[in-house]
Amino acid sequence: MATPTNVPLPARPQKEAPGSIPVRLYGRLRRFVNVDVYAYWPLFVMVIIIAYTSTKSSNYLTVFNFENILSQVAPLGMVTMGQAILLISAGLDLSVGYNIALSSIVTGLLLQDGQPMWLAVGCGIGAATGVGFVNGVLVAQNRAHPFIITLGVSIFLFGLDTQLTGGAPVNDMKGLYTVFGGNLAEGFPFFGLPTVAIPLVIVVAFAYSFLRWSPLGRRAYAIGGNEEAAYLSGIPIKRTKIYLYTLMGAIVGLTGMVLAGQINEASFNLAQNFELESIACAVIGGTALFGGRGGALRSIQGVALWGIVQNAIVFTGLSSNYQEMALGAIIVIAVMVTRPER
Amino acid sequence: MAEPVLLAIEHVGKRFPGVQALDDVSLTLRAGEVHGLVGQNGAGKSTLVKCITGVHAPDAGQIVLEGGPITTYMPKHAYDLGIAVVHQRTQLIPWLSVAENVLLGQLPTFHGAVIQRGEANRITRDLLERFRLRLDPETLVHRLAPPERQQVAIARALFRRAKLLILDEPTAALDAERAQHLFELIGDLQAQDVGVLYVSHHLEEVFRLADRITVLRDGKVVATRPVGELDQNEVVTLMAGRRLENGIARAPGEAAAGEPLLVLDGISNAVLHDVRLSVRAGEVVGVTGVIGAGGHDIARTVFGLERLDAGEIRLRGEPYVPRGPRQAIARGLFLVPEDPTRDGLVPVLSVAQNITLVDLPGITRSGVLRLGKEREIAERYVGELSIATSSIDTPVRNLSGGNQQKVLVAKALALGATVLVLEEPTQGVDVHATAEIHRIIRSLAEGGKAVMVISTDIRDLLQFADRVVALRGGRVVADLPAAETDYAHMLDLTVGSLGAVA
Repeated sequence: MATPTNVPLPARPQKEAPGSIPVRLYGRLRRFVNVDVYAYWPLFVMVIIIAYTSTKSSNYLTVFNFENILSQVAPLGMVTMGQAILLISAGLDLSVGYNIALSSIVTGLLLQDGQPMWLAVGCGIGAATGVGFVNGVLVAQNRAHPFIITLGVSIFLFGLDTQLTGGAPVNDMKGLYTVFGGNLAEGFPFFGLPTVAIPLVIVVAFAYSFLRWSPLGRRAYAIGGNEEAAYLSGIPIKRTKIYLYTLMGAIVGLTGMVLAGQINEASFNLAQNFELESIACAVIGGTALFGGRGGALRSIQGVALWGIVQNAIVFTGLSSNYQEMALGAIIVIAVMVTRPER
Repeated sequence: MAEPVLLAIEHVGKRFPGVQALDDVSLTLRAGEVHGLVGQNGAGKSTLVKCITGVHAPDAGQIVLEGGPITTYMPKHAYDLGIAVVHQRTQLIPWLSVAENVLLGQLPTFHGAVIQRGEANRITRDLLERFRLRLDPETLVHRLAPPERQQVAIARALFRRAKLLILDEPTAALDAERAQHLFELIGDLQAQDVGVLYVSHHLEEVFRLADRITVLRDGKVVATRPVGELDQNEVVTLMAGRRLENGIARAPGEAAAGEPLLVLDGISNAVLHDVRLSVRAGEVVGVTGVIGAGGHDIARTVFGLERLDAGEIRLRGEPYVPRGPRQAIARGLFLVPEDPTRDGLVPVLSVAQNITLVDLPGITRSGVLRLGKEREIAERYVGELSIATSSIDTPVRNLSGGNQQKVLVAKALALGATVLVLEEPTQGVDVHATAEIHRIIRSLAEGGKAVMVISTDIRDLLQFADRVVALRGGRVVADLPAAETDYAHMLDLTVGSLGAVA
């Protein structure tokens, strides 16, 4: 709190945080531990879930199972990093699902056509990045909320994707499958990890560094926290938004390559629901839905919780319908327990 | 004046932490009377209005309406009792029609299910005609201009059979013709025995309309008299109280030695008319006037937020055409806006992050933010300006208003701005912080910067400005060394008869 010279103001009395017992206990804890422990609540929830599920099935607590979870959530995790960056800037991208599909289709079709890998991958990532750029330009005009703009782009892309493939998936991703379809070969460190873990780690590390050490990342926080103040501080609002959405496009393109390679298929429904799941994961992890607050590590724990819950439901022997129920409940609980301050 | 007393305010007091906003205020208002309420900013006018309308409960005394003391201080309760207030920015529902807004909550329906539009329009039309308001009941409110919205708000109050109508700066958004119409309407209201409390900075209006005038100063009533027994100069003197000594130690005339860094040469736009003024290195120029007189617009125009239609600006001796904050900042001009949390700071970011936000390139090397350098800069200014914060990593929203102002000043310093425009730097800031902000503003000037402070608080300005510029209706009416003027004189220039000549 402030020093004694800081006399309370008449106009705006200091609002005390709601004095519920957990909040007060947390306040006491914070005085001893200089880490925002509260922000990492999903980790504690995960530990509880893992402990519980391991009593239900002897096959649960195995390296193989956790590698399996990792391989399942890796593509979602990558997109969530991009989504977190946009959410921090008070934006969001609902076109990621069909944009991932677009990049995979472009690459898949070029591979089918016998084009070299570098060209196919370049065009796939390029197409997704281009879509991100268009999103950015449209959003930067500030004429409508990114929600509706990217929704429109998403529907457009759905049509484009089905038109390009004629509805039938491309079923051979050639070299991409070789790279992302399996696990790390013997001789690599962490032998046996799914290869998709590598792009995930790279993207998470990138997002973390971007938000922490790059001027553009700082600009994202500023715009999301108070766009007017950012503008008056000389931040180029439009340009920043275009950069951020373009960056999201590039991450989406990369995700398209990984996902298409992983399951050896390029189709319009490759990444269905990724747009909303990535937003949900980022928010569960503690990234604010309306900008200004959040981070890469927080958001990735949202993804981890997502994967662990889905997996645990299977191991506890419940029907997969319970997965959706559990995930839905987690989203609601997450937004209710996120810090009360605004 | 045999009319019964409608509203009696009896020995009302209201205290906020650190300030006695109202102190033993008594006032009566008769049915059919227009009672003018005047006083400088901070004199307690709005607190009094808020007590009457139930927003605040008085700590002492009571408010009596038609003989019955008000026991529950709730806005809705006051409204039900027939007390209506019309602000400059009136709360209406934009996508409903005039009739729906006027009758809101009491719309005629068929068995409570379907609104009877025809009936609603008829009732509203009758009401509007009775008060000679030229409005169409069917127009959607968002299509109306501000003055017309004000009329809708008044009509709503009339429909609710308001006995007491409080008009708070009602002419601020009105042109002369509209204002004239409002005055006629007030005449009609008087004829219908509605009591009107007329709160305004514009003394001519108050003198023209009011039967009696009450002058508030420092939360106390200094006079209540019939209009015939007062003149405008007297009111200004009453508002100002004794002549004030200029506060802080200052060497008047000594400073103002440097080059003119900011020169406005006849700038004009929608609000401003041929504004000429200059600020020199090492000088603090205070710009004052009532709300709407143009101070805010000067700041916004110079910073490129409002159009410049005519005139020239020179910044550090070079021609300058404002294009926006980025360009202004690049040229060494920084605006500290009026409302720090709304316009100036990013509340969720830390003190350090807010300070360096204006100059991210300055802490970037090869595309990477140097967080160590950021801490260094932040720690330096937190120390230099003695910003009270638990650490430089604290989000600025946790700081008090005065300390938030200091963070804004730190931004300007971190940027190395040579010309600073500060808007209302001490608004809503406690006494200690005010004194510190004064000191900081002086030291900025002593460091060779050109400082322009825009404030409606004349008393405050006179404590640290070298020169003061009085604005009225978007024009400069006086530009004087602070040593050659005083509070009463400036007040007269900005609201009284002196400045009216222009």
